[in-house]
Amino acid sequence: MLRPVQMSRVVVAGSKDVMEPVIEKLHELNLMHLVNYSGGQQSFEPGKTVGRGKEFSENLIKLRSVSRYLDIKSKAPDVKFGESEIVSQMDDLLGRLGDDVTQTYERIAAIDAEVKTKQDQINALRPLSVLPVPLELYQGYDSLAVFVGTVASAVDAEVAKISSNSEVFSGSYKNGLVAAVFAPIGQAADVQAVLAGHGYSEISVPKLSGTPDAAIASLEAESKNLLSEKEPLVKKLKDLRKQNEDKILAADEYLSMQTQKTDAPLRFATSNNAFVIDGYVPTAEFERFKSSIEGAAGGKVHVEKLSDAEMEKCVESGEDVPSKMDNPGIVKPFELITRLFSIPEYKEFDPTLLIFIFFPIMFGMILGDVGYGLMILVVVALLKKKFRTEGWNQLINIVIISSVWAIIFGVVFGELFGPMGLWGKVFGQMAHEEILALEESGLFWGEGFFGPLGRIGPAEMFPMYRLATNAVLMLIGVSIFIGVLHCSVGSILGIKTELNYGEKKHAYFERLPVLIFQVAFALLLLGLIMGVMPIVYIMALLIVVSIVMLVMGPEGVMGATHLPFYVSNLISYLRLLAIGLASVGVAFAANKLAFQVLMPMLSGGEHLTMVAYVLGVVVLLMVHFINVLLGILSPFMHPLRLHYVEMFTKFYAQRGGGVEYSPFGHVRRYLKA
Amino acid sequence: MAITDAGVMYGLLAVGAGLATGLAGIGAGVGEQGIGAAVVGVVAEEPGFLGKGLFLMLLPETLIIFGLAVSLILMFAWTPFAAFMQ
Repeated sequence: MLRPVQMSRVVVAGSKDVMEPVIEKLHELNLMHLVNYSGGQQSFEPGKTVGRGKEFSENLIKLRSVSRYLDIKSKAPDVKFGESEIVSQMDDLLGRLGDDVTQTYERIAAIDAEVKTKQDQINALRPLSVLPVPLELYQGYDSLAVFVGTVASAVDAEVAKISSNSEVFSGSYKNGLVAAVFAPIGQAADVQAVLAGHGYSEISVPKLSGTPDAAIASLEAESKNLLSEKEPLVKKLKDLRKQNEDKILAADEYLSMQTQKTDAPLRFATSNNAFVIDGYVPTAEFERFKSSIEGAAGGKVHVEKLSDAEMEKCVESGEDVPSKMDNPGIVKPFELITRLFSIPEYKEFDPTLLIFIFFPIMFGMILGDVGYGLMILVVVALLKKKFRTEGWNQLINIVIISSVWAIIFGVVFGELFGPMGLWGKVFGQMAHEEILALEESGLFWGEGFFGPLGRIGPAEMFPMYRLATNAVLMLIGVSIFIGVLHCSVGSILGIKTELNYGEKKHAYFERLPVLIFQVAFALLLLGLIMGVMPIVYIMALLIVVSIVMLVMGPEGVMGATHLPFYVSNLISYLRLLAIGLASVGVAFAANKLAFQVLMPMLSGGEHLTMVAYVLGVVVLLMVHFINVLLGILSPFMHPLRLHYVEMFTKFYAQRGGGVEYSPFGHVRRYLKA
Repeated sequence: MAITDAGVMYGLLAVGAGLATGLAGIGAGVGEQGIGAAVVGVVAEEPGFLGKGLFLMLLPETLIIFGLAVSLILMFAWTPFAAFMQ
């Protein structure tokens, strides 16, 4: 569980005439992580695509374009199809449906383009409607130059100065002027210069006839017609998508699987008559793998695994042995957090189990509110049906487990939508005599600002009320304790990891002293607080010992300079308390604002008025809503950080991370098995 | 000048606590802004870097926890602290 699955390096060699059945079997088994053949061996070359590879890839490209036109995205399947069903319908899918979809899509694209052209023409015509010139008169002259456009100021006088034969039409449009200048072609350059001086910007006149207004009307009618033609086409595409979505996804899956198989030899070493496949198989599965492959090839193939000693050499030489994380169902979602950081290397520990233990507790300790916990639990459980992809599902499972812990800690802290919230109403207030009795026995953790709250649990210990002084002090201790535990587990795994890699010096003089230092530092603080001097002296001695060990270590004096980092690691766990306090503070403020400020203030007298009540509740809900949103985010991010920064640096991903085990094969989503 | 008035002393403690958290927060924020921008840039090119990027981005955040620890000690361990002073 704490280590990736044990792997064996396996070689499959055989005669080329059994290559296809072997590939078929390999794909079906979905067990072997292939190592690509990179050349370098005499008389062996990477293989070539076999069978109908070309046809499959062409079909796949066609199918992908169809699914792009239909805007099909991967999703959880509603119906599954058999392989033969897909094969028999493939021609129909790519031929009839493909043509239909392509034609429809292209017609829609053409309509869109045409409508856009018409719209551009309309935009160009609008300013011209203020000029008394029919459209056909703007072009087709041999001896006249025509300038049409917007100008900043009137140009008539200046144009007339250049050429008496010219004619200028102008009119005002919106905030500017529109002018059409007709001048003899010989003076065109001069006229242009004048226009440029007036901020001329050209309008390209569409080649149409009649008045601009009539032209605009007819263009608008035409684009309306086009759009009404487009509407049923869009609906048709939508219908086609609905009918064929699952089938197309299944066909895509089928074709991908086929191309995977036909392209597989590109990764093998082949000679004229033989092929060699190199890769990794989980050791536990090797026997099954061997017999299945040999059965499929009728004995014309040789399957062999490297001995343990050779495998060890393989790992030491820095080969990328794939890691397959191996965790039971309930822990599995937390692989998401591990994977987000890095895949464990083959010889490293897989921290998923530790994340499963610590992460939800930390989340719960920070959030710690029965009301918020329940709310998150319900919302997320409802979302679970909506988001069915694997990543989302894992995230949702993590939040579910975490929110259960939030509820548990909510009971410990006595919080139901904030400390004052509903707790007192549900469990009642505590009598004065009881408080006195508890105080005497040392179990009273303070009553906070709103009086004593009803207690539950063994020895009536709970709630311990997070805003009270005693509880804060105690929670500081608890946070640091969790920190020491968390970091020490990390350090112990760090020592073992170094030993796995054969780095004894690193294990005993780099990782071990850190472990000693952490524990001793925490106990030293404890001793100081409790005033037990012998513990303090012993721990101080241990700290000195750990520093000496670090100096003797591989990094020398530099090693000891890392110590402040480890101290800050431990202090960092205070966030477990601190962020929780912040969220309690907001909830507390919301309750106080609504019940003790807004409601009495707005009602004025003794009795609550309706307005005061409604306003108070609105404010209450709003602030709590914001708080619960923050209450999902920060209790998630901060334990994440505590794992990534404080724990992982002790043992994980120190060598750049591993390669994920991805066996040759395919897990069917849209096809029946 | 010795501060004898408990009210004044408590007030100064509260101001100190506020400064400790607030200034530490500004510091952490300044530290994180550059890292955050860089991480977003890297993740846009290579989404696989998200976890490590997050790790780097969250590093300076410890600073604010130090400030907060000081504040907590000032605010909540005040009574024992005051007793210790006398």
